[in-house]
Amino acid sequence: MTQKRTFFTATAIALAMSLPAFADTPQSGGTLNLIIQPEPPSLMLGLVQNGPTQMVAGDIYESLLRYDVNLDPQPSLAKEWDVSEDGLTYTFTLHDDVKWHDGEDFTSEDVVFSVDVFLRETHPRLRASLVHVESIEAPDENTVVFTLKQPFGPFLGIFEAGTMPMIPKHIYEGTDFANNEMNNTPIGTGPFKFEEWVRGSYIHLVKNEDYYIEGKPYLDEVYYQVVPDGASRAVAYETGQVDVLPGGSIENFDVPRITAMDNTCVTDQGWEFFGPHSWMWMNNHEGPMTDVNTRKAVMHSLDREFALEALWNNLGKLATGPVSSSTRFYDGDTPSIGYDPELAKQYLADSDYDGETIRLLPLPYGETWQRWAEATRQNLIETGFDVELVATDVAGWNQRVGEWDFDLAFTYLYQYGDPALGVSRTYVESNIAKGSPWNNVAGYVNPEVDALWQQAAVSASDAERQELYSQIQDIIVDDVPVAWLLELGFPTIYRCNVKDLVTTGIGINDGLRDAWIEQ
Amino acid sequence: MLEGFKRFTSNKGAAIGLFILLIVILTAVLGPLIYSDSPWRMVQRPFLPPFTVDGLPLGTDALGRDVMAGLVHGARVSLLVGLVSTVVALVIGVPIGAAAGYFGGLVDDALMRFTEFFQTIPSFALAIVLLAIFQPSLFYVILAIAVVSWPPVARLVRGEVLSLRSREYVEAATLSGQSTFQIITRQILPNALPPIIVLASLMVATAILLESSLSFLGLGDPNVMSWGYMIGTARTVIRTAWWLSFIPGVAILLTVLAMNLIGEGLNDALNPRLSRKSR
Amino acid sequence: MIRFILARLVKAAVILLAIMIFNFLLIHAAPGDPAAVMAGEAGATDEKFIADLRARFGLDQPFAVQLWTYVKATVQLDLGYSYRQSMPVIDLIWQRLPATILLTMTAFVIALVLGVIAGVLAASKQGTWWDTVISTLALLFYATPLFWVALMASLLFSVVLGWLPGYGYQTIGANYTGIDRVLDIGKHLILPATTLGLFFMAVYMRMTRASMLEMSRLDFVKTARAKGLSNGVIQRRHVLRNALLPVITLAGLQAGQIVGGAVLTETVFAWPGIGRLLFEAINQRDYSVLLGVFFVSAAMVLLFNLITDILYVLVDPRIRLG
Repeated sequence: MTQKRTFFTATAIALAMSLPAFADTPQSGGTLNLIIQPEPPSLMLGLVQNGPTQMVAGDIYESLLRYDVNLDPQPSLAKEWDVSEDGLTYTFTLHDDVKWHDGEDFTSEDVVFSVDVFLRETHPRLRASLVHVESIEAPDENTVVFTLKQPFGPFLGIFEAGTMPMIPKHIYEGTDFANNEMNNTPIGTGPFKFEEWVRGSYIHLVKNEDYYIEGKPYLDEVYYQVVPDGASRAVAYETGQVDVLPGGSIENFDVPRITAMDNTCVTDQGWEFFGPHSWMWMNNHEGPMTDVNTRKAVMHSLDREFALEALWNNLGKLATGPVSSSTRFYDGDTPSIGYDPELAKQYLADSDYDGETIRLLPLPYGETWQRWAEATRQNLIETGFDVELVATDVAGWNQRVGEWDFDLAFTYLYQYGDPALGVSRTYVESNIAKGSPWNNVAGYVNPEVDALWQQAAVSASDAERQELYSQIQDIIVDDVPVAWLLELGFPTIYRCNVKDLVTTGIGINDGLRDAWIEQ
Repeated sequence: MLEGFKRFTSNKGAAIGLFILLIVILTAVLGPLIYSDSPWRMVQRPFLPPFTVDGLPLGTDALGRDVMAGLVHGARVSLLVGLVSTVVALVIGVPIGAAAGYFGGLVDDALMRFTEFFQTIPSFALAIVLLAIFQPSLFYVILAIAVVSWPPVARLVRGEVLSLRSREYVEAATLSGQSTFQIITRQILPNALPPIIVLASLMVATAILLESSLSFLGLGDPNVMSWGYMIGTARTVIRTAWWLSFIPGVAILLTVLAMNLIGEGLNDALNPRLSRKSR
Repeated sequence: MIRFILARLVKAAVILLAIMIFNFLLIHAAPGDPAAVMAGEAGATDEKFIADLRARFGLDQPFAVQLWTYVKATVQLDLGYSYRQSMPVIDLIWQRLPATILLTMTAFVIALVLGVIAGVLAASKQGTWWDTVISTLALLFYATPLFWVALMASLLFSVVLGWLPGYGYQTIGANYTGIDRVLDIGKHLILPATTLGLFFMAVYMRMTRASMLEMSRLDFVKTARAKGLSNGVIQRRHVLRNALLPVITLAGLQAGQIVGGAVLTETVFAWPGIGRLLFEAINQRDYSVLLGVFFVSAAMVLLFNLITDILYVLVDPRIRLG
């Protein structure tokens, strides 16, 4: 019976996903209700870049480029761009009729201010990329020139709203950015304007009538509704109160039931840019996981196929190593890290593990992750480990992971399309530092690989980069510094009459500029 | 006391309560011997409904774990949490209440302000904060429940001691040269016992409920299978597998009900002046 | 009377201050701080980012200085600023408080009114099947986990039957005004308030019943009966009035518990009140908000206690003001 059900589930999702996009003429008008989970702390994208903030603020703020599902750059505020032969000069030409929501003109001065002044001060991830930049100049109102110190392969990949949102110079120049009153009424150039935020209830955006693309956006109003309980979020969709459940809105266990509803479509597109990649940190600094055989024993103990099927509705893929298959320069031809209890026991026997209790930290992001940790603990116990789950909330998790106070810890990170942007940061020795849960927390040290990362980032040739990244992937997979789990698949669930909801590799976080409702 | 016991067993509600509680205790003690496997083992396909597969009378949960095994092991944990946290609450509350009631004056004032202080902080919120600080484990869950549930004990004991300390036999003991500690523990407290027992039986019930609420918010110990944990995990699948929250919910309901019935029965039996005429 | 109230107010203020300091110490003992949480959420961080955040939250100050700053501000009734949400704490609380007061007061009234009526009914029909049915029902509500009832109720009335909205405070985007708005909020209020109210109803019912029964055995009731007063008059004039005293005390004590229960109800029903604000603030280590919510709820409890004390004096003429 269950077998049949699982089959039905998989088919339903597959069917829903294969629905062709109708090439109809977009219709203007209507209100779109979406779930936002959890409630963002702020909508000022230049100051706060967490997931929910990006999702809502992606309608308000824009950057120079967007990326399609293959991660090729598309025009946004820049209509054209040009990269010099030597890979050192990037020239962007801006649309010339863009206005801020308060009516001021958007110019190249705003770009220079945003990147060189504001974001350099506030945005740690962009700051890491800006070390390659020699200068940012605005030769005229509509042109911006970035000059690099040396070639930086992934440079064209950092011009997206979450990484480089455009901030209005006329509002922020010379002020205390973090405490500027305007942070609560964000002003951007995006297709929707901020209207009202009733904390704990909803965020209301309205159409930007002066948007620079004629006829867009199509929607009149957008509500992001805050519903704190997963079951209630599912009810909100079922009762018609919301039309869109962005990835992660409802618990995975509810996905098959909701996607089986009438007039319900689902897509797993719109996450290619992020390439959410999950793994377990293994503490390479101290404790049992310092032994590579113990780590291999852990790796081969994990029944990831079960997790994919029972916990993730078969959305997503088994990870084969550090790089996600949607990220550039992925190489799947690496040593096998599959489920093999016998092999795991062998590695355990060869290791110097002597029965100490392994502290496993689940990711405190809801029930799916909790169940996953429980299943993992059981997998490990069956290999012969003694495992204890350590319960934490988000703050406690950050603290423990950042202070290396664990043996195993679940996590997932975004890859931002390029290994140099989102992968190397968790494996290079220079990124070992207490206090952050997002650097080389495991404490993996391999000077040979460090050199390869270095070389690959500053290479101007894609062929050479592929060669180097393939080598890196091969070596790292054999070292198993962490236990790779899944390339996560986050389904976006929506009413089928909502069209063009996800049009880029950034998904809903890229704004609802193209979305429309079929009447 | 014997008379009290007779009154207790002749109370229909109390008898039912005692019967249910005995079953729960038996399950808690003997069940894990029968279901000796860990309740965390994934034994079958996930979400098997009850009565569909032999050997899995209550079906399986989201990870294919045996719900019956969970229920049996959960009985042990829920009872343990209920009992131990009540004992800890008594250990905190009784001395404070006794000292306040016996010594009066400044001591009373200070201790009662202290008690009031804990009663003024919303107790559930305090429990949440405590678990956020210490990180949930069985030990801290019990401690957090005890910390928020002792004030009523202190107040009750204080009231009883206050009314008992001027009794003749206490004065006699004072005159015969017994120490204050002896007077409180040997003369006063035994006589204050009946209402304390009644309150304690109700506190066990409340503690079980509190543990389940904390688990529901994800603040339970993830290494032990409790009923609250089972509901907490089942709530996300309540629409597709309602029995997963229904079954442990009924288990909690019955146990808490039993404790309450027993509490009422004890109240009638031990405080005869309040007993219902008709029964 | 005024002296009595003033004395109680001073006492309440002292307790409140003690609670605030206790909470401050408590929450700062928790692992992780707001800067770490925000850095964690950002998905990337470096030393400068963390240091900037710490400075913004005032966490770079010595602990004693932080405590002193906090106490000084609290004494002046300044609840501080939430740097996480870029808003004064008082504004954040003010946005949420009306919803919680509406929810808890409605639940409280439901609990009190239903509880007292059911208790009086059960006591006056003592020993009959009325008594049994009412007592059993009350006990059932009391023995059932609150969140479980909430889930089941939302499932039944919202999803299966479609009678009532299953979550939220108002129909978002409807922009009702006037009476429509009141009706809309009222409709949203029914499920959470009833769920919360039924749980506490049981307590009042049992208290009223027990207290009524105890009273009817007391001498003055016997005297009244001997004087030939009718049973109804005795019940109303003598028994109920006196039986309500412990109920009032309990109500004062329970105010705090209702705020706690609101955390669960507000979570299940997505009710935008301070119970949820509190839970979120704990998870985010948003110290100033957390302390602010504690302050407000403790103040509410103390206010409640004061009101019950005054009621006590009014209901029971035997108590002298001291």
